[in-house]
Amino acid sequence: MNAWEMINMALISLRTNKLRSFLTMLGILIGVASIIAIVAIGNGGKAAVLGAIASGSAQNTIQIVPRELVAPGLPQPGQVLAIDESDLAIAASFSGVQQVNYTLYGTAVVSSGNRSDNASIEAGPANLNELTRLRIISGHMFSQADVIGHRDVAVLSQSLANKLFGSGNPIGGLVNVSGVPLQIVGVAVSQETSLFSLFMGSDALYMPATTCQDLFPNWSVSEMDVQAAPGANVQSLAQRIVTALNIHAGDATAFADSSGLASSVGALLSKVTTILTLVIGAIAGIALLVGGVGVMNIMLVSVTERTQEIGIRISLGATRTVILLQFLVESATITAIGGLAGVVIGCFIGLGIRITTGIPASVPWPVALISFLFSAAIGVICGLYPANKAARLNPIEALRYE
Amino acid sequence: MIELHGVYKTYRVGDEPLTVLHGVDLRIEEGEFVSIMGPSGSGKSTLMHIIGCLDTPSVGEYRLRGTLVSNLSARELAVLRNRMIGFVFQNFHLLPRITAVRNVELPLLYAGVGRAERRARALDLLARVGMADRAQHLPTALSGGQKQRVAIARALANDPALILADEPTGALDQRTGLEIIHLLRDLHHAGRTIVVITHDPTVAAAADRTIYIVDGQIRREEVRRR
Ligand SMILES: Nc1ncnc2c1ncn2[C@@H]1O[C@H](COP(=O)(O)OP(=O)(O)O)[C@@H](O)[C@H]1O
Ligand SMILES: [Mg+2]
Repeated sequence: MNAWEMINMALISLRTNKLRSFLTMLGILIGVASIIAIVAIGNGGKAAVLGAIASGSAQNTIQIVPRELVAPGLPQPGQVLAIDESDLAIAASFSGVQQVNYTLYGTAVVSSGNRSDNASIEAGPANLNELTRLRIISGHMFSQADVIGHRDVAVLSQSLANKLFGSGNPIGGLVNVSGVPLQIVGVAVSQETSLFSLFMGSDALYMPATTCQDLFPNWSVSEMDVQAAPGANVQSLAQRIVTALNIHAGDATAFADSSGLASSVGALLSKVTTILTLVIGAIAGIALLVGGVGVMNIMLVSVTERTQEIGIRISLGATRTVILLQFLVESATITAIGGLAGVVIGCFIGLGIRITTGIPASVPWPVALISFLFSAAIGVICGLYPANKAARLNPIEALRYE
Repeated sequence: MIELHGVYKTYRVGDEPLTVLHGVDLRIEEGEFVSIMGPSGSGKSTLMHIIGCLDTPSVGEYRLRGTLVSNLSARELAVLRNRMIGFVFQNFHLLPRITAVRNVELPLLYAGVGRAERRARALDLLARVGMADRAQHLPTALSGGQKQRVAIARALANDPALILADEPTGALDQRTGLEIIHLLRDLHHAGRTIVVITHDPTVAAAADRTIYIVDGQIRREEVRRR
């Protein structure tokens, strides 16, 4: 008898008692489905958080902010609240630094014709779109020349453009900010996964930092964006610049690397999700164990019920090994089918969550494969005792059993 | 073919030993048709289980075609039951949840015969006992006589030299019982050794020789001339 005939025989025997086979499977199915779903959600949640953090900082850019901005609270007397020219100069003096830019944030009334809206203003260098993860959907980003030339140009967020221009094309049009007309060169949407877009409203106007300083001379520079040269060690560079700035300010905690902060928050969040996944996974594992005990129980009942069948099979020439294998394959088949169904249902739950919540839930295939193999193994382990009991039956007593 | 010398069989019922066979000496030649009669509980089935290698004597020796059965391993005994012996029981002992043809296939399955050949041989065997048109029926859909025919087809699956039948007509009416006996006699004419346990004198009379057992001992033998 080959393996396939064994499995076929097991399937025939499981089919003759469909309801019981299904109920036995259910424990394993629920256990595996919940493990798969938990892993999918955990993975998706982690990916979403990490994606949001990664999207908040452009590559090779060190974002330095006064500490007050990273850890909100009452500023101490004399605490640095803004970045000034000398700070920018210090950062620029480091080797490995290609360029030092800065950004300003604030809010202002933006108007066009008789329509106006209170929008957040983000002003910065020409790669502001990378720093704050904008996607230009029409027109273009303002250029470095615009920044150097203090030009009156702006990029609108899509929602602001819709409010001011309706369905008309805003590119080339003018908006008024603080009495100065700015020419619109582009429209952008903020990438959804950005953490920053959660805190900022979606009505935003982006302009060159220099222009903004002309319009709002009393706004302070709230972020320094240090562009590292290609190949530079960004982390150590960031550390050295922050230290130098702190020494200059005479306060060891005056400045902080906000991109570093973001990544440490990311690491923490990822740790938390991992722990949560493990805890819930352990609970699902217990469910699987209970399912396994259920399988063992049913197999014991089945061996007792089929005592006479076993006696008949022995009288027809079945060896003890064949009887043992028959019951082992049966219980492994139950749990393998249960495990397979659990994997499929778990994947569907993950898919449902992806569609309804947008969390990029995903099941890595090794997890699916291991879950499946593990449930088959549960069948073998839990079937061992009942199968051994069946194989050890005395054929005469088994034949006489009613 | 079959040689028993001083065979005792003792079961343990709780703490009490229960001796069922009390020194049985028996010789059955190749190709013989023997019937065994005796009152209920006299040890007929026990004797047949020993002959069929399902059980072993507590004392004494049993040789099958010269081989001392007590020297064989469990695996060798299984092969012997599979290839050399065909059982027919009073209660048919068909597996209730699989079709007639699958029941007949079982000994072939354990003999390692491949799927297609197994099916062909099982159908052929069913045809030989007149059950070709019932191959796909479950045992519950068959009458007693039909079940016993399927059971005989199954006993014949690996073309065994020895057929052991324990009250094969006990659950059947007289006419159907007679048909089963005719079937067994045909097998005997084809050269097989047949041992039948029965309470029915007409069944016993179909055999060449009848052995009478009382209280686990052979009391009397009757040989018929043909
Ligand atoms: N496995 C067993 N365990 C205990 N007692 C048994 C066993 N098999 C048979 N017996 C007892 O042995 C006696 C003979 O049984 P059996 O050989 O079936 O008789 P028969 O077939 O002649 O009616 C009976 O009293 C029966 O109860
Ligand atoms: Mg009996």
